[in-house]
Amino acid sequence: MTTITPNALCFGDEFPASGVPCLVQVEGHGLTVTFVSDPAERRSESVPFSGLTVSAGGLDHDQLVVKWAGPKGERTLYLKNADMIRAFRQAAPDHLNAPFERAAERVRQVRHRHRMIWSIIGGTILAVVLGLWFGADLLVELAVDRIPVEWEQKLGESAYRDFLSHQEVVKEGLGVTAVEEMAHRLTEQIPNNPYKFEVTVVKSDVVNAFALPGGYVVVFTGLMKKAESGEEVAGVLGHELNHVLQRHGLNRIVKQLGLVAVVSIVLGDQQGLVGLMKQLGVELLTLKFGREQETEADLTGLQLLHRAKIDPSGMITFFQRLSEKDEGRTEWLSTHPMSRTRAERLKAELAAMPKKTPEPFTFDWAKVRGSLGVQPVVDP
Amino acid sequence: MRSEILYPGAFPMVRVELAEGEHIKAESGAMVALSPTVDVESKMEGGFLGALSRKLLTGEKFFFQTLRASRGPGEILLAPTVPGEIVVIELDGVNEYMVQKDGFLAGAETVKIESQMQSLSRGLLGGEGFFILKIGGKGTLILNSFGAIHKIELKPDQEYIVDNNHLVAWSVTTSYNIEKAASGWVASFTSGEGFVCRFRGPGVVYIQSRNPGSFGAWVRQFIPVSE
Ligand SMILES: [Zn+2]
Repeated sequence: MTTITPNALCFGDEFPASGVPCLVQVEGHGLTVTFVSDPAERRSESVPFSGLTVSAGGLDHDQLVVKWAGPKGERTLYLKNADMIRAFRQAAPDHLNAPFERAAERVRQVRHRHRMIWSIIGGTILAVVLGLWFGADLLVELAVDRIPVEWEQKLGESAYRDFLSHQEVVKEGLGVTAVEEMAHRLTEQIPNNPYKFEVTVVKSDVVNAFALPGGYVVVFTGLMKKAESGEEVAGVLGHELNHVLQRHGLNRIVKQLGLVAVVSIVLGDQQGLVGLMKQLGVELLTLKFGREQETEADLTGLQLLHRAKIDPSGMITFFQRLSEKDEGRTEWLSTHPMSRTRAERLKAELAAMPKKTPEPFTFDWAKVRGSLGVQPVVDP
Repeated sequence: MRSEILYPGAFPMVRVELAEGEHIKAESGAMVALSPTVDVESKMEGGFLGALSRKLLTGEKFFFQTLRASRGPGEILLAPTVPGEIVVIELDGVNEYMVQKDGFLAGAETVKIESQMQSLSRGLLGGEGFFILKIGGKGTLILNSFGAIHKIELKPDQEYIVDNNHLVAWSVTTSYNIEKAASGWVASFTSGEGFVCRFRGPGVVYIQSRNPGSFGAWVRQFIPVSE
């Protein structure tokens, strides 16, 4: 005997509440419902179209509900097979057209609502992604604000000590006192300074200077030799100090570590960041700042020089000279690409500032330079 | 496959007998013991994205396990994580059930499982996450509950109101609306959601006699909080 595949559920008083599977077939006069639960005794019922009512029902209102009054009470069919429903609709007489149309309309509404919901969800996801994309800077800022200075110092100090242990540190001499004087002049002009700046001169022909988070500044003798005045070195220092004050290093780290770090910091887990740092091997010393951060360090550096009564034109000329004569190992430029617009911007900014009579440094730069380059350096 | 519920009541287990080559899908973590002829495979039902969406949106386990009697007939003992009853439903190929997360324990290989998005309002207000499992096909479906399982049978157009935290599964011939609970209900909700489902028949609704959220809240009060 052939097995038949049920395509509908039938409900009625003598049936279980979950319904009985049955096979519904469309005939000329109406529907034939065959119950398949007991294959040995297959029962069929014929229902004329005239006795039927149709509507939409089920969990998503996408099933066709057919009702009629049978000999044993009301019978209800739940159909969801699309082919079956189409055949039924084509064969059905006129009096069922209007209810069919209503049921079809209901299904269309449900489908439409589902599409709407999906597009709302899709739109929401898109908005979140875009929000994160464009709001990332804001989030980073928020996270960076929550990192305490002591923690930043701990981070910078370990990198600083580690770096210095591989370098020849210049401990005394004209160069060191000159750099200390510059740093002192600048840092005393910083209001509410939370950092204890530490400046170290390192003997190296590399033209470079950098500042680590927490206020650890390194100046290479190569950079000092290139400078034609103390004001030029002070210009670089002013720029570097402001990378620290604006927390640019932290900003970059947090950005590189990504959203996880940001979230963990905002939620108060700064310890987690230390672990993440190690995990991702972010090298503080090779951090590159963004163009906006460089501009910010330039401008705030310029203002700092101005407040400290150090002639800011030294900064501009030094930057320009470094970029024009790219001889030797001008490493500072690799992290600080100099552009014409950058120097122009500084010049314009300087012109707009009120004139101040600069106070010269107490050292003689020619002698400082001599101690570094012309004569051999005194043994450290 | 043949299944038998052992130790019916609060701490049941289900024994599933498989013929050689047969397999079942089981909630990962449900497996208690098995014959050496049965192999355990982790398979992501509905593909990676389906599994991921289940994981993210319903908190459902990332993997279902496939337990296959590949080296001869064998038997498997399965048990749910929480204390509560197990119910076996024979799917007839026509009826389908929506199953609340955590409600699925195991199913025959011919049982089809798909994650389905609920209507937005239902998902948000019903507290069930956006996705629930829609289970159809033909064969044995094994569900578990927190507490005892109670079956509510609804005749066509008959209505019944259920606290949605107590829902386990319901047939798709039912329809329901989420409603804000009347004040009398709210007082009994420790989860504080205050929403109920008004089901309309025909069909079957399986509910559990305990509310996991309320139970969690009740347990938490005995756990000393550090900080
Ligand atoms: Zn810079």
